[in-house]
Amino acid sequence: MPVPTEVSTETPESPKRGQTTLYEASTQFRNWRFSRSQLSKTRQSLNEAAVEAIRDTFEADSPGSSSDISFLNADEERLLVKLYITKIPQLCSHFGFPEEVEATATSYLKRFYLKNTVMDWHPKNVMLTALFLATKTANQPIPIDVYTSRIPKTSASDVLDLEFLVAQSLGFEFTVWHAYRALWGIWLDIQSLPDYPKDSIAEIYNSAKIHVRAARLTDAELIYTPSQIALAAFSLASPNIAALWTHAKSSDSILQIIEPLKQMILQDSRAPDVETVRDIDRRLKLCKNPEKVVGSKVYLAKKAEEDRIAAEKRRKKADEIRKAMEENDPFNEDTANKKTLDDAVNEALEDDD
Amino acid sequence: MDAVEKANYERQRRWAKEKKIGEGTYAVVYKGREVKTGRKIAIKKIKVGAMKDGMDMSAIREVKFLRELRHQNVIDLLDVFSSKTNLNLVLEWLETDLEMIIKDRSLVFLPADIKSWIAMTLRGLEFCHRNSILHRDLKPNNLLIAANGQLKIADFGLARDIADPGYKMTCQVITRWYRPPELLFGARYYSTAVDMWSVGCIFAELILRIPYLPGESDMDQLKTIFRALGTPTEEDWPCHTKLPDYVPVGQFPKPPMRDLFTAATADCLNLLSKFFLYEPRKRISARAALSHPYFFALPNPTHPSKLPKISTQSSTRTLEEVDGNVDLDLDSPGPSVKAPAPAKKAPAPVTKVSTPAVKAPTPPSKPSPPPVKPSPPAATAPVPRKLKRKLSSVSSEDGSYCRKLDFMKTGGTRT
Repeated sequence: MPVPTEVSTETPESPKRGQTTLYEASTQFRNWRFSRSQLSKTRQSLNEAAVEAIRDTFEADSPGSSSDISFLNADEERLLVKLYITKIPQLCSHFGFPEEVEATATSYLKRFYLKNTVMDWHPKNVMLTALFLATKTANQPIPIDVYTSRIPKTSASDVLDLEFLVAQSLGFEFTVWHAYRALWGIWLDIQSLPDYPKDSIAEIYNSAKIHVRAARLTDAELIYTPSQIALAAFSLASPNIAALWTHAKSSDSILQIIEPLKQMILQDSRAPDVETVRDIDRRLKLCKNPEKVVGSKVYLAKKAEEDRIAAEKRRKKADEIRKAMEENDPFNEDTANKKTLDDAVNEALEDDD
Repeated sequence: MDAVEKANYERQRRWAKEKKIGEGTYAVVYKGREVKTGRKIAIKKIKVGAMKDGMDMSAIREVKFLRELRHQNVIDLLDVFSSKTNLNLVLEWLETDLEMIIKDRSLVFLPADIKSWIAMTLRGLEFCHRNSILHRDLKPNNLLIAANGQLKIADFGLARDIADPGYKMTCQVITRWYRPPELLFGARYYSTAVDMWSVGCIFAELILRIPYLPGESDMDQLKTIFRALGTPTEEDWPCHTKLPDYVPVGQFPKPPMRDLFTAATADCLNLLSKFFLYEPRKRISARAALSHPYFFALPNPTHPSKLPKISTQSSTRTLEEVDGNVDLDLDSPGPSVKAPAPAKKAPAPVTKVSTPAVKAPTPPSKPSPPPVKPSPPAATAPVPRKLKRKLSSVSSEDGSYCRKLDFMKTGGTRT
């Protein structure tokens, strides 16, 4: 990954004409940047649609059963996800994964819940899958049995069953541009300035790194560019250094843009209150989508329906092929080479997938 | 149906599979069409369900990089969707590849054609390198050719981001004949120069019409290289004897390149030799190569649409075109003009698509993650090589997953 040091102040709607930076060509820039209001609107409507769908599922199962269920709202969903974001650094230090894996897994988890609800997929499992996927996309693959053997009460299928869903929810866009790398770039850059404070710079960088990590608990990466987050972290560690650097880059105005970001890093980076989250999790047990609960009545009904459709498809295909075979028969004497009907159907279905 | 499932279903419906055109151990390739426009596409279906560790690394790499890269000379990934437990990559349809063109003995390459193919290769690669991506498997059959003649770099199954300073990468990459000596000596810290060596090999192969450095084993590969380019001295390549897998393979003198590349111009030879500089830091970069005088001297590169094509079109080239572009010396056909007499019958032209996983295996197979490198003679290291490999294979491809490298330590000293 390049170390991005350029600071973009643009909104997604107005890309620079003529020349695009590498960052602006990235899927992150194109598909995973929001304004604050877009972000809350996205979560709000996702939550509402989920509640409606799950309510319908309950009602279909037994009418009237959804009236006394208290569904989670968007903020409660976010809080629960946040709790599991705080678990990622713990697991990563347990495994000794580098920062890239940790940061990537965190981004995956956040992005996943911009497309899914916790009432369908519990963040505990999604977090484990996101982390496993991140080890692969960040070039640190480990065998699944090694991974699960070091996480209590987790089987390979707990992780792998969701992998496809997670990858799909990410739109298969695995590349993430991280603020910690931008921070590194700025730090290298600062050291090329003529009058930087040589004695304290290492300490300032270390404290800025802590702010970048704190920013991972917030929505910052969904709103700001990696370099903006990095600069905000530097500014929190040492406003003078940040000003020195932006001045050298002739972009003093950027400091105003990152003021709200600095506030966000300070205010939103606290881990959620455990009691509050425990209460949310308790309610989640009652309002989670029964279609996703293995063995539930609705789950079984859905599976049966899927099986019925698959069988129907198979029967149709078999008819087609039988017909085709019969039509071709007069011209095809060589029966030894002829595939059996079953094989042909299997092959045809395989190709359809 | 979930929103995610629904979106996937919508995507799936945009593409129609028509015909299976290839099958490999981990993927099946279909010819297909975009339903709305009817344009030809290829669908590479990767069986994920069969994988013990879930989605496998080459599929992940391919998707990860092709999702980001958009360039005229890089294959276009149009869409990705899933079906049951399969991953489907929708790729642009490409007629053929450079290997098949090289092997087609009925085609005559003009110097201007070679210049055009190398320029397109370098443009695509410069874009990858600018994005900090190493391809790590460049060879003629990974350079696909579109119907309009544009060359596209394909198969990103071994690609990766350039590692940060101090972080190791595997040396088991790049098909042997195109692999640079630093990887053969086991270098674990390397950069874009590895791809540049491969470009040099492809460049030479276009001129010679046969692989330039066809080693029979990893050890023989080094010998083949040194025989062709001379054994490097300490001055040519400082400290190469300190590389992890260094073994002396004999002293060979450096023959003049002109002896083999008889018809090449001085500019052409000069550029060619810069791809083969032993010291990776001195080897020319893609960006610098594109500014080399070779590309500014006459003849100008052939327009992609006029490049030699497989099938019957080869005879349609008019004489004026030939006249304008080459000093014809048909009495002694220089290697850059005409293919050497065929040793074997050239394979029948077959339509081909970007199917890294289903290609007919070429003699030196792509190194696979579990290394099957023969252990070198006279290992001097105290830890037996075999054991070392075994240990490292428990962890990740690119070094241990529980490495304790401190970011500060590696990055901290850089200014």
